Amino acid sequence: MSGNKALSRFHQPISVPGRRLLHHVRLNFVKNKVVGGGGRSVNQEIPLIPFIDFLLCIVLFLLASFSATGEIPLDKNVKLPSAQNAVDMLEAPIVAVSGTQILVDGIPAGSTRAIIDAGKLQKIDELDAILKNKRELWKQLKPGVDFPGNVILQVDKRVPALVVKSVFQTAAFAGYPAVSFMVGKLASDE
Amino acid sequence: MAGIDVGGGHGKRSANHEIPLIPFIDFLLCLVMFLLVTAVWSHMARIEADARVPGPPKDTEQDKIDKDKELHVEMRGDRKFQLVWKEGSTVVNTIDVPRKPVEVGSDVTFPDLAKKIDEEWKSQGAHRSAADKKFDRAVLHVDNSADFGSVIAVLDAIYAPTREFGPTAEKVPAFQVTFASD
Repeated sequence: MSGNKALSRFHQPISVPGRRLLHHVRLNFVKNKVVGGGGRSVNQEIPLIPFIDFLLCIVLFLLASFSATGEIPLDKNVKLPSAQNAVDMLEAPIVAVSGTQILVDGIPAGSTRAIIDAGKLQKIDELDAILKNKRELWKQLKPGVDFPGNVILQVDKRVPALVVKSVFQTAAFAGYPAVSFMVGKLASDE
Repeated sequence: MAGIDVGGGHGKRSANHEIPLIPFIDFLLCLVMFLLVTAVWSHMARIEADARVPGPPKDTEQDKIDKDKELHVEMRGDRKFQLVWKEGSTVVNTIDVPRKPVEVGSDVTFPDLAKKIDEEWKSQGAHRSAADKKFDRAVLHVDNSADFGSVIAVLDAIYAPTREFGPTAEKVPAFQVTFASD
């Protein structure tokens, strides 16, 4: 020790390395941050719990809307027309009219070919029978309640008006006077 | 990150555990993607056509209905529409509207017809007050060979005029529409 003190009186070209890390950095605030001597650490925790909550909310919303939209069955062969002045859908039996066949809630209920060949408005017997059965079933399930008589026609845009009028008239005679046509929603001009 | 800390930790193995949140987040993101891809974003709506209008079941109601003015929309031929106001079987007024279809994507609309029907209802419609529970009636006469897309375009034009209805002054279509049986 005494030898070291004696040597320190003179300029030493080689010295013992000490704790001099980052002493050359002139930016004090950077130095403080880097060595962890500042007020706040640069390390940050990502708040994962709120993120998971958010994801769970999205999943629940998508699951809910998934089931809701699945309730409107759309025949792939039917290309619907669009309209601006349309109203919201309601729950009612759906009569799909594609190029060749007529379906009630997916059950075959006649052919359009016979109507086109006849060339005149006519009652469709199978459709009439199925709709009347549905009406009777509804009345048995809800006795004492007035039958609303709603039916929704899902008609391809290329189907001739003769077929549409025949289906419309058959539905009306089967006890469904409140007929609606399913359409796509066009943006309003206003 | 989330973990279970039961304290202690002086034994051979620590009882504290970290819950692996990253795989859980990955799973949730996959679920979100799947649901977004498979969801059917349906924008279906409906346009009404009331079969009760031309043929009500009781004769007394028939008499009452026949006294009201009706707008008959004739959709025959390719050149024009004809708007005919009738009171019972008496023709009150006839207006010709040139048929000018406007294509909107793969659909057609008839904005000129909608504008003319709106003007006609404003000048001749009988039920325009919000307190009036009855509606003006329109009867659509369609050529049997017309395609359904055009029929809907004409129905859409008939539903263009709106009126206020009820105590809340809700905006509803001014006409109730039905098909003629011819």
